[in-house]
Amino acid sequence: MDSSTLIRFTLNGQPASARIKSYFTVVDLLQSLHLYGARESCGQGLCGCCTVLLDGVAVSGCLTLAQLVGGRSLTTVESLDQSGILSPVQQAFIDEGAFQCGFCTPGFVLMVHQLLERNADPTDDEIRDHLAGNLCRCAAYPEIIRATKSAAARMRAAATA
Amino acid sequence: MRDFELVRPSSLAEAIALLDTEDGGVRAFSGGTGLMLMMKTGVFTPTSLVRLDGIEPEHAAIGIDDDGSLRIGALATLSTVEHSPIVQKVAPLIPEAMKRLANVRVRNAARIGGNLAHGDPHMDLPPVLAALHASVRAVGPDGERTIAVEDLFAGYYETVLGRGELLTQVIVPSQAGWASVYHKCTTRSADDWPALGVAVSLRVVDGVIADSRLMVSAATEKLTRLVTAEAQLKGAETKAETFARAADAAVAEAETIDDARGSAEYKSSLLHVYVRRALRDALSRGALQ
Repeated sequence: MDSSTLIRFTLNGQPASARIKSYFTVVDLLQSLHLYGARESCGQGLCGCCTVLLDGVAVSGCLTLAQLVGGRSLTTVESLDQSGILSPVQQAFIDEGAFQCGFCTPGFVLMVHQLLERNADPTDDEIRDHLAGNLCRCAAYPEIIRATKSAAARMRAAATA
Repeated sequence: MRDFELVRPSSLAEAIALLDTEDGGVRAFSGGTGLMLMMKTGVFTPTSLVRLDGIEPEHAAIGIDDDGSLRIGALATLSTVEHSPIVQKVAPLIPEAMKRLANVRVRNAARIGGNLAHGDPHMDLPPVLAALHASVRAVGPDGERTIAVEDLFAGYYETVLGRGELLTQVIVPSQAGWASVYHKCTTRSADDWPALGVAVSLRVVDGVIADSRLMVSAATEKLTRLVTAEAQLKGAETKAETFARAADAAVAEAETIDDARGSAEYKSSLLHVYVRRALRDALSRGALQ
């Protein structure tokens, strides 16, 4: 017996629904909807490639059952440029060259957004602590920290403009 | 993974009734970060998962008693505990240990009750909470009881909790007069599961150790209180020789185990270093208070 369930939820600000298996993770759910920004890499919640926001809180998509998304709000990296303009964090990652292969980048970008929502001017240590669970196998860590500080400065400037 | 049922009771009593079954495929599900790993690797195949996020919200609350004890609802996320001003005030060692516990996303999802009930000997909170003399409240089909955190674990991934029994609260007494430290050692990478965790609490009066609590985890099959090492400390002066005697006793009594993070012999060597280091650091913390 392998049944499926219909769930309704909010996906990147829009009403959405999907038929899922009981054992689907959020990564499986997003792939069924052709959203590939959150990727499963380690599959153990260690690497951060599958980062999504559930009700605005960062979680690992690979460790989150898709059924838990029913009735809640799911946000992925694809939400960030819905207006056609890259978010300040995305733009800062490009400007600072904060990636090589880009596989881990959506996770880093979402985590940095979360950090800057709570802390407009994080120190290097605060950035390192917050991103300790995101792995970049190209080791673009110095550029990622620079991009985070650059994005923070841009967002502070925009807030006071 | 195979198909399973996910149920969401709206009260603790209902959850306990659902979990009071002989079916080993029925398990409580809170943050899911531990159980999902077991399900993905096929270690655990559920028939039914009982979600706890719909039960009374009081089970996620954090508060303080008149006597200064901290009460943390078992369903509080690790992030909530980490950022709680009350926790910071009563037991700053807990938020300090959180900084290197898994990562932000896991702490956002994982609950403190699930963290303890999972019974994984590599977890950071069991030694920390046990050193702080914490206990847990458990509610089951036969009623309610209090269990000291140091007595909660029966073995490797095993707790003393009975069928249908759920943790509801973690209680941390006032730490007035005590100084505490937790040190862990990861051997493969900084963010790895620890090969060893050592938590120490000291109460020093006029240069003499009036009382101590020493815990080791990760290097042993389950959280272990180092009672003979504590006996070496009681009434002794706070000097390096005393700490070395305690470390000798700790190595003699702790049954370290071999695994991917190192041999038993290596972990015993680590234990000797870390017990001395933790005692030294707890002492210097106490002097600053």
